[in-house]
Amino acid sequence: MSTYLRAREISQEPVVTLAGEDVARVKDVVFDPMRGSITCFTLSGRGLLAGPLKRALLWKKVHALGPDAVMIRDESSLEEDDEAARERIEAPGGGSVIGARVMTEEGTALGTVNDVIIETSGTPKVIGYEVGPATRTDRTVFLPVIKPKSVSGEMMVVPAATADFTAGDPAGLPAAAEGLRRRLEQEA
Amino acid sequence: MDWWIWLIIALAVLAAVASSVVALQARRRSGSVIVAGRRSQAGRKGGRT
Repeated sequence: MSTYLRAREISQEPVVTLAGEDVARVKDVVFDPMRGSITCFTLSGRGLLAGPLKRALLWKKVHALGPDAVMIRDESSLEEDDEAARERIEAPGGGSVIGARVMTEEGTALGTVNDVIIETSGTPKVIGYEVGPATRTDRTVFLPVIKPKSVSGEMMVVPAATADFTAGDPAGLPAAAEGLRRRLEQEA
Repeated sequence: MDWWIWLIIALAVLAAVASSVVALQARRRSGSVIVAGRRSQAGRKGGRT
């Protein structure tokens, strides 16, 4: 059964070892928008006075991603520094996607990104975006993401047909994605 | 002023500082959803051009 998570819900999830030790909290979720895959997590410490940690958790070291915790084998799964994560975040085009404008390649604004939807059955993958109202729409919708032209911390440019395949909730995204995939194949 | 007034003022200042520190750390802990940037070809090939 497919489960859908909002990426912002994963932020602040505990990072727990299989031995049951709560070792950190997820701070940032870093993902590759072209592949739709989670790349890594940055971490913060536990407790009221804890700040960000200079350690990261690469996706390949994650045992499981659940709705309530990120599971790892043991504490050695965490990177000793956050160099790998910072390298991806600080590379050109990197940055927070929350608040980025969604624009079709024909220049129609579809809204701003409120959240990123992740399907967690099997290997988690980004299947779409929760997009807040723009001038041409008056409600929050879920947009499937197939072949985005570009995604950065400021703007996401998507095929024009994307606007015709919105969903009302995350569970509707796979069907919307399938419809969009067929349309894009016809147009190709 | 009486000593207890100074005590109350000191406690109030202490509470304000503590709550500021907790709020600041909470803001530093709060995360986001980040797009991984594009690494340069040179970077991926270990610096070769």
